[in-house]
Amino acid sequence: MTGALRQILRAPFTRRAWAELAYVIITFPLALCATVFIIPMLANGVLWGASAPGVRKFGAASRLLARTLLGEDVPAPQPLQRYPYVRVRTPKAVPLTALVSAEGARVRPRGQDIAIMGLPASRIADLAAEDRIAIHAMRPQRTSWLRGAMRDRATWQARGYFGLKLQAGAFGLVAGAGCWLGGLFFLTYPAWWELARPDTWRLPGGNHLVTLAGSFWLVPLGAVLLLAAPWLTHAVTLPDRALIRGLLGPVTPALTERVRDLEQTRAHVVDDSAARLRGIERDLHDGAQAQLVALAMKLGLAKDKLTDTAPPDLTRVAQLVDDAHRSAIEAIAELRTLARGIHPTALDNGLADALATLAARSALPVELITDIPERPSAAIETIAYFSAAELLANVAKHSGARHATLEAVHVPGLLRIRVTDDGRGGATPVPDGGLRGLAERVRTVDGRLDIDSPAGGPTMVTVELPSHA
Amino acid sequence: MRIVIAEDAAVIRAGLTEILTDRGHEVVAAVGDAEALKAAVAEHRPDVAIVDVRMPPDHTDEGLRAAIAIRREHPGTGILVFSQYVETRYAADLLSMRAGGVGYLLKDRVANVGEFIDAITRVAGGGTALDPEVVAGMLNASRHANSLSALTARERDVLALMAEGRSNTAIAEHLVVSDRAVEKHISNIFSKLGLPPSDSDHRRVLAVLAYLGS
Repeated sequence: MTGALRQILRAPFTRRAWAELAYVIITFPLALCATVFIIPMLANGVLWGASAPGVRKFGAASRLLARTLLGEDVPAPQPLQRYPYVRVRTPKAVPLTALVSAEGARVRPRGQDIAIMGLPASRIADLAAEDRIAIHAMRPQRTSWLRGAMRDRATWQARGYFGLKLQAGAFGLVAGAGCWLGGLFFLTYPAWWELARPDTWRLPGGNHLVTLAGSFWLVPLGAVLLLAAPWLTHAVTLPDRALIRGLLGPVTPALTERVRDLEQTRAHVVDDSAARLRGIERDLHDGAQAQLVALAMKLGLAKDKLTDTAPPDLTRVAQLVDDAHRSAIEAIAELRTLARGIHPTALDNGLADALATLAARSALPVELITDIPERPSAAIETIAYFSAAELLANVAKHSGARHATLEAVHVPGLLRIRVTDDGRGGATPVPDGGLRGLAERVRTVDGRLDIDSPAGGPTMVTVELPSHA
Repeated sequence: MRIVIAEDAAVIRAGLTEILTDRGHEVVAAVGDAEALKAAVAEHRPDVAIVDVRMPPDHTDEGLRAAIAIRREHPGTGILVFSQYVETRYAADLLSMRAGGVGYLLKDRVANVGEFIDAITRVAGGGTALDPEVVAGMLNASRHANSLSALTARERDVLALMAEGRSNTAIAEHLVVSDRAVEKHISNIFSKLGLPPSDSDHRRVLAVLAYLGS
């Protein structure tokens, strides 16, 4: 009881109370400025696009204030995307148009080609491949920044936020700041008594206020208002917090987009595992199986030599057996390599051990930093391992680096693999390239791959994976 | 015999060459892909070509398609398709033109050098040499199962051995019966399959074709 009382009495003097008051006071003019900026810019599409960075800056300012004053930490939304624009040459323009239109793209004929706007080239290629539509040429054009900005969902949400915030903010300012000011005013009312022309104040039931003594009747009212002010201010920030979380944060993809994303990644998983199985079969067929056939041939011939002719040509038999022996050893080595490619046994002891083995086997010196207090799920460990292997192989093959760093850090919910090298940089994912394939594989478990590789280096590739697939 | 080998795995190519040379045959060319095979056959006109099914560039059925082309263009050249897997469709494709001068063996069979050389000799001489697994696979896939269902179990055994390309004597040895008994079975097979009496070799081929469903 005394604890609660103390909390109530101390509330007006806490940092939170003052911070929230400051928030209520500062953000109203901010919302006003934002609205004044936004409304005239709603006139046409070009202005929507042109004003998008400005609107986003207002959003960023609001997030900053909410973080510092309300402790409401909302991450920034996805950056503005350019609007993809691809020219496609296909003998089957009509069915392709129908397909991409169904995905929300806009299509215009352009001479012998069709121009498809709003879908990235990779997605168009996937759609065409699914329906076996031949594509003779596909040229991504200079993408439109303005069109992307016009349609940016995060920006439209920010516009909506400021529209609502202006009303909520006006109410908050009046209620919150009014309560504080009123409380202070009444608390100190006797001091103002001379100035405040008490004869104009009429309270129902008497004229207490016209005397100095009577003016002290307002002091408790001021105290109550001041004690209530922090709670009221806090209450008026609640809808604002919800609005900021809902409208100024990262845009959650619509369910249809999520479904499309899952369809794509699932198709990739299926293709990828089929391709891996094909690869394993090829390796077996060309490698160990061929070795074993050769071995059987040599042993068959040696057996014949020993049984058919009398006396047996022992030198020749010895040579055949020697050849067979060599074939057997080669087959064993190939099987071992193949088995390791399917599942690295080092992973059984955890990712850190497996990465240590990997780093040690790498062609160039690799500094290894691991911090994996808890093991991620097996599928994630495997993807992380193969990502690291692919990235280190890329460094050795393409970067010209002399040194690389492999970092693996697991915090609850997130496993980050990062490979940094001191090579020449300029790494880009190309279709059918290793990095692109890796990005696709990582995406299948809702992970992401970031490449930071300016020309001249250094290159830093980061793979982020959820702890559990 | 003069032989061309087409096989993309160098180690098997070398092994085959070694075995054939050892047995006194002449390997006139050993190549690694289908185009080189066609060129080599056109140039050397060998008695038999040993052809791997999967070869560069696509590693699917290049060898088989080359083999079919060779059968069309050079009927005198026997074809022994040599594969790590049994694909009954491939065998049916090969047999669909003529039944003779063709063979389809699993690579494993080469371990038994004597039988392998026998098979090549049969193919070079216009006979057939089908791997028992190919035969079993074709039996399962046979579209003529109805006409074959009239055969007794023993007659089916005999027919299977005929399809592998064995002579009556070899069949008799294999089944441990007399030559006379084998001849009796074969004539029963001919009549049950409705093959008119004519040149016995021709009927033999027809029976095998009925059996293989091609």
